[in-house]
Order: sequence, then C-alpha cells, then structure tokens
Amino acid sequence: MRHAMDDDEAIARSLDGDLGAYEALVARYSALAHRTAAMLGAGDEAEDVVQEAFVKAFRHLSGFRRDAPFRPWLLRIVANETHNLTRARGRRSDLAVRLTAAADPAAPDDPAGAAVATDRRARLLEAVRGLPERERQAVVCRYFLQLSEAETAQVLGWPVGTVKSSTHRGLARLREEVGGELA
Amino acid sequence: MSSHDPFDDLEAELTALGDLLDTPSPPPPDVAAAVRARLETPSPPPSDAAAVRARLETQPQDSARRVRRARWKVVAAVVLAVIAVTAATPQGRAAVARVLRFAGIELQLADTPPAPVRTTANLPGERPVAPDDLPALVKFPIRTPSELGAPDHATIADQDRVVSMFWPDGVRLDQFQGGVDPFFFKQLGPPWPDYVQVAGTSAWWIPGEHPLGYIRRQDGTEVPLRQAAPTLVWQRDTLTYRLEGAGTKERAVKIAESLR
Repeated sequence: MRHAMDDDEAIARSLDGDLGAYEALVARYSALAHRTAAMLGAGDEAEDVVQEAFVKAFRHLSGFRRDAPFRPWLLRIVANETHNLTRARGRRSDLAVRLTAAADPAAPDDPAGAAVATDRRARLLEAVRGLPERERQAVVCRYFLQLSEAETAQVLGWPVGTVKSSTHRGLARLREEVGGELA
Repeated sequence: MSSHDPFDDLEAELTALGDLLDTPSPPPPDVAAAVRARLETPSPPPSDAAAVRARLETQPQDSARRVRRARWKVVAAVVLAVIAVTAATPQGRAAVARVLRFAGIELQLADTPPAPVRTTANLPGERPVAPDDLPALVKFPIRTPSELGAPDHATIADQDRVVSMFWPDGVRLDQFQGGVDPFFFKQLGPPWPDYVQVAGTSAWWIPGEHPLGYIRRQDGTEVPLRQAAPTLVWQRDTLTYRLEGAGTKERAVKIAESLR
C-alpha cells in the first residue's frame, strides 16, 4: 500500500496545485467538517457550507502557517461559513443533531436504568440547545467536538478567556437546568 | 478534580453525549470529488460589469445567493460552472434584480417582465455555412442532437466561436465556447427560469419568451438580438448550448440529452 500522506505533505502538494492531494485532505476532514457545521447551526445546509469551506480553504491555503495544525484552521473557515449562513438567514442557529438510537453501552442489563439515562441525555441535549448562543457554541466546541480551549478560541475567533468564561457560564446553566446528579 | 465535582461529571456527561449525537455526512470521497470539480472550474475574470455588480452586492442579495446555492447543492458533484448570482442594479438597467451567470449566458432577472424586443438582428459576423463544413471551421467539437437529425442549415458567428443550427420546425441550437465571459444575455421576468437536469448536469429552462442579446467581447456592450422563444441552456465540458424553439421543457431536455 502507498503510504498515507500526512497533513503537511498533502498541504505542500496542494500548494503545488496537486488537486489529488487536496482531495485526500478533504476526504480526511470531511466528516469532522460536516459535524462542526451541523453542530454550529448549518442545519440541512451543512453539505453546502462544508463544500464552500473546502473551496475557500484551498484558495487561502497559501496563507496557512505550515507550522500550525490544519484542523482548527479549517474548522475556523467552516465556522465562519456557518456563521455567514445563519446570519444571512436572519435567525438563530440551531443545534442540528439528533440522538442516535444506540443502546446505552453502560447498562446493557438494566433496561430501566438505561431508560432513565436516555431520558437524562435527551434533557441535557435540550438544555444545551436552549443555551444562549455563545455559551452553546463554547459547550458544543469543547465537549461535542472535543476541541481544546485554544482550538475553540481559534475556531470561534474568540479570546481564550472568552471561551473559558462562556464555557463556565454554560456549564453552570446546564447544571441548573438538568441538575448536577448523574442518574 | 474529584469525580464528585459536579462540573467534572457534567463535562464527562457532555462528552459522552457528544459521542451519541448523529450528524450525517455524505461519503468523504464524494465530498472530495465535488470540491475538486468546483476547483477545476475556472472562475470568470471580473469584467467591469461584474465589478459594478460586486460593489452593489448587499446583504439581502447575499441571502438570496445562499438560498439559491442551497438549491444547487444536489448537483454539486457534477458542477460545471460556479454560478454566481450577484446583485445587479448597475446604471441603465435599474429594473434588474439579480444576474445569473451560467456558462457564458448572463440571465438578467427582473421582478417584472422586460419589454419585448421588436427588432431582429444577427450575431456579429454571422454567416451561413454548410452543416457538413462545420467541423472544419470551428475549433471545438460540433455535436448534433440525434433526436432531430441533421440540421436544415447552419451559421457561424463571432469569429467562428458561435455555431447555430436550424431545423425546419423552428428549432435552433447554438453551441459556443462559453464558461468564461458571458456572450449571450437574456432579460427575464416572471415566470422564472426553471432548474432542470440534462444527462445529470445542471441546466436552466427559460419558460417564457424573452429578449435575447449578445455582449460584445470587445467592450461589454449589450446588443439586442431578438425576442427569443422558450429556451434550454446547459453546458457540457467547456461548451455552452442553448436550444430554442423546442416547445416544451420535456422535449427540450430530450433533444439536449440526444446530443452526440
């Protein structure tokens, strides 16, 4: 098998105009980009947003700092495109996700406990949906997308301090909404 | 942090919840291919008219562009031309609400039907030629719809860049190298053009009669040609086709798909 290109090599080749290398990069980050767009509010236009983001990323690739990680740089463009979309729609962005119907892996032998856990998850998701925009974005980036504080700051274009405070406020509000105790 | 810290528990719970959230996405190779197709489509160089439109572009039209782009999402994988819908109220055509540049044809969309063109004119340098001579006269491959058979007569125009074929029942097929600067313009009001597919690629059906003209390559001047019948416009490779006089949308698409 051919060795898999790492990001840096794919970026270098893309900068030389190798669209095949860029295709590899797109394929590698496609799922994450869609997930980010959907979670930041692109809704059923996530595919559109992602394509646009990848096209823009290619056109701005020469401005990418090669010693920096590609992932947050790309997700920043995805987040910007999503933001432009929701702003153009003139309404609040929605957290366009749904809970999978997967059984609770933690309690396979305890249907009642699983039902309670499922209910709690649904309530928690609703509570995240209901958060003020900035708190929701911070919580989504930190926990649903599992980005670091620094990555979240880069993706959302905020100072790290704002990420910290928004996350903290969001968590506090969630606790009020669904309670701190685990079911 | 201890595991009894409620924040810590909540953070772990949110992370676990994130893993259970479903965000469907298309197969990555499809996305990669669609992005590549868009990158391989040359974007039109900004003409003066485009620059004017770009300057006039404002938020509401940006929104319209978004909506429109979403409609094209389904054909993104086979995108032939990046279609820029830009705001357009440049001097002299204040009634134009939007401009759609599609494959060498500029569709000027207004909210009210434009005044019909009463005169008819020929394309620049248009001259009759024998249909059989066409392949030798132009630099691009000539295609003929098998649905219609051999044309009755043909012309070439604009320094041999536009080929027109005519059939006895009033059908006219123009083919030309498009995709960069628009060559034809069409002034449209309601009914709006209808998005259709020709052999899996994007196309527009213009259902009503409409003023047709050409844009002079030298200076961008718009020269009216005539009142055109309902028309189908589409693109294949770098060539643009416009089929006029086929009657219904269904027949037009059928003829278009028979192009060989």
